[in-house]
Amino acid sequence: MDNINVLVIEDTVSESDALVKVLSANNYNIVGIAATYNQALEMFYNNVVDIVIIDVFLDGKPDGITFAETINIVPNSVKPFVFLTSSKDRQIFERAKLTKPFSFLMKPFNELEILYALEMAVEKFYEQTNVFHSEDQNTVISNDSLFIKKNKALKKVRIEDIVYIEVEDRYCNIITETEKFVILISLTKIMHLFDASKFFQTHRNYIVNSSKIIEIVLSDNLIVLKGNHNVTLSEKYKDLVSRFTVLK
Amino acid sequence: MIKNVFFITLFFTLKSLILFSQDKKTANLLELQIKAKVLKYNDQINFNKAQRFFFENNWDSTLVYSMKQLSKTKNKELKDYCHYFRGISFQNKKILDQAKKEFGQISSGFDFYYKVNFSLGEIALQQNKFEIALSYFNSIDKLHERSYDFKKSSVSHNIGLCYLHLGNFAKAEKYLFESTRLQEIEKDSLMLVGSYMDIATLYYEQYKDNLAIPYFKKAYDLSKKVKSFELKRTATLNMAVVEENRKNFSQALVYRKEFEAWKDSLNDQNKVWAIADLEKKFAIQQKQKEVNVLAAENKAKIAERNGFLISSVLLLILFGTGVYFYRQKIRSSKIILKQKEELDELNATKDKLFSIVSHDLRSSVNALKTSNGRLQENLENKNYEELDTLLHNNSTIANGAYNLLDNLLNWALLQTKQTYFYQESLHLASIVQQVEYNYKPLMLNKNISFTSNVPSGEYVFADMDSLKIVIRNFLDNAIKFTKENGSISIYTRPSSEEYCYLVIEDTGLGMSKSTRDELLKDSVLLSKKKNDDIIGTGLGMQLCRSMIYKNGGKLDIESEENIGTKIIIALQKFKNHG
Repeated sequence: MDNINVLVIEDTVSESDALVKVLSANNYNIVGIAATYNQALEMFYNNVVDIVIIDVFLDGKPDGITFAETINIVPNSVKPFVFLTSSKDRQIFERAKLTKPFSFLMKPFNELEILYALEMAVEKFYEQTNVFHSEDQNTVISNDSLFIKKNKALKKVRIEDIVYIEVEDRYCNIITETEKFVILISLTKIMHLFDASKFFQTHRNYIVNSSKIIEIVLSDNLIVLKGNHNVTLSEKYKDLVSRFTVLK
Repeated sequence: MIKNVFFITLFFTLKSLILFSQDKKTANLLELQIKAKVLKYNDQINFNKAQRFFFENNWDSTLVYSMKQLSKTKNKELKDYCHYFRGISFQNKKILDQAKKEFGQISSGFDFYYKVNFSLGEIALQQNKFEIALSYFNSIDKLHERSYDFKKSSVSHNIGLCYLHLGNFAKAEKYLFESTRLQEIEKDSLMLVGSYMDIATLYYEQYKDNLAIPYFKKAYDLSKKVKSFELKRTATLNMAVVEENRKNFSQALVYRKEFEAWKDSLNDQNKVWAIADLEKKFAIQQKQKEVNVLAAENKAKIAERNGFLISSVLLLILFGTGVYFYRQKIRSSKIILKQKEELDELNATKDKLFSIVSHDLRSSVNALKTSNGRLQENLENKNYEELDTLLHNNSTIANGAYNLLDNLLNWALLQTKQTYFYQESLHLASIVQQVEYNYKPLMLNKNISFTSNVPSGEYVFADMDSLKIVIRNFLDNAIKFTKENGSISIYTRPSSEEYCYLVIEDTGLGMSKSTRDELLKDSVLLSKKKNDDIIGTGLGMQLCRSMIYKNGGKLDIESEENIGTKIIIALQKFKNHG
């Protein structure tokens, strides 16, 4: 489970310091603090960034919005972002609103507010709203990661690291090669959001990452996975074997 | 040449004479016969009328009634009479062809068929068909004299005339002499004059002047005894021509003058007729003029009436539009008055607000200043124990001032509608947590026990920032009015279909019912200051109320003095399906 990488675009040092303090305390990883538009673009494209926090006004100009507009142009590289602003000026907002999905945070803000804003940004960006505060779910699934709410903060797991998933009631045990942890999400939702060519259901309770399979022992109804994990293969799902090219 | 002219005049003169004398003579027997017929057919009104008009020589009426009788009756005898009436009428009106037709329709069994023949003969004579006329007259001439009631002299005369025109002078002479002889016996001087002149003409035509002249003379002498101007004139003219031809000019001149005299008298008569005619025409013209004047007057009257109508309609329209605009004006002035009152009220509120705000801000900043002074003092005196309380005091004052400023700004933005307002799904518990986070130290400081119990399943549809402002204000108020060791709790009441009820409860001062009503009333007036320390501007309350309404929510207060207050905010629930 990895920390979330946050890029902060803020030209006032005292505010960026406060922000960094709060984020670090909640286990967010600050990849950089950009004070100008150009700096921000450079940092955005040279680092792995999960969320961007953008101050609308950089040096008195609405360069923050310009930045959001710029990264919005290339659809695949866009990441969730949050606007910081001290004024509810309608004209600025109307412009900022065009960079969808749009979430913002009014200054001054406290710790809870910034964390909530980050969560909202992720939810809105991946179009899975009302996840982090619901009682039966705490994970947003993007195309390459799971965003999991742990205590007050978000964590991230790369989907390709997952070996298999064991479903237990409302919970899912995520097993990577190194860790094992529980998330709140339904099986159907996982199956809906995961790439079906990479993850197979082998049993009522198991979903397996096909790239982590070492051996399928049909006689024992067993699948041997990387990291010395064994998973049951039930009769119902045996035909998945046909999807592999079997060497004889 | 002269002879010719004079001959033709003579001829036409004679003809009318013949007809005239004839009618008089023949009427008697015919009249008797017709009276008998009237008695016989006394039920035929039209016939009765026709015969009456016939004897009155009223030809037009005769024609009308005889026609009516003809169209109704099938009686051959009556028909014959009617045709006869019509024939004679047409003849007298000189419509000769029509007359001939009517005579032709009379059956040969008619009592007075010879009269019909006579009339036909006269018509033929008048139409210069002498041969035909002669045959008609000859047929009558052959009849026995007693079988018809008019004089043989007339017939003879007419036959003579025919022969004269046909140039058979010998026969003409014979018949004319015959008629003259008969007329002399009958002493019919009128006819005699004609006959003498005819005989004279007869001789004159044959250049037997010696024979002709005595007849002319005779005719002239006799003409002096008759009343007919026409006859006198012709006779005199004849004499004048005769004397002229005899080169006896002085005598001719005398006759000429006499002729002129007769002609004048005739002309006078004509003139009288002409004048009468003119007068008639003039009268008609006069009448026509009157009619024209009346028509013009009528036209003028109609035009006047139309003008009056149009002008009245125009006036009505003018009046209507006037009334309409007047009412419009009254209405707009009413609106303006109302708006003015509202503006005055708003202005008063604004002034009051400014005075209160400036007072509050000034006192806050002043308190901060003095507190800072004491802080410095204590720092110099190394009195560190005091520092903590003073700093807390300072932060409280700063916080209050900040909140006041924030509310003021938000209120201004809300009034000018410059604020960005976007309603979305909000996780109520998170929002409440975020707001209370800032107040936790404050409550801890005041030793207020705080419980927050908002179920995490509640999502509301609201603008996040305004919702935070609302909760912040109510929480701030709750803390302000709650004494130390009191308690504040935030929780929700079971939500209805549309609303989610958020309750902020405190164990503070509470408020009277009138205060509560005043706070809830949608008035712009700010609550009065009772206590400088506790009661604020009321701006916060008003801001909250406006923002809740803008979010589509409702506000309610439950309060008991000295027990506590419950602020109930009803917020729209978020529904996934819109």
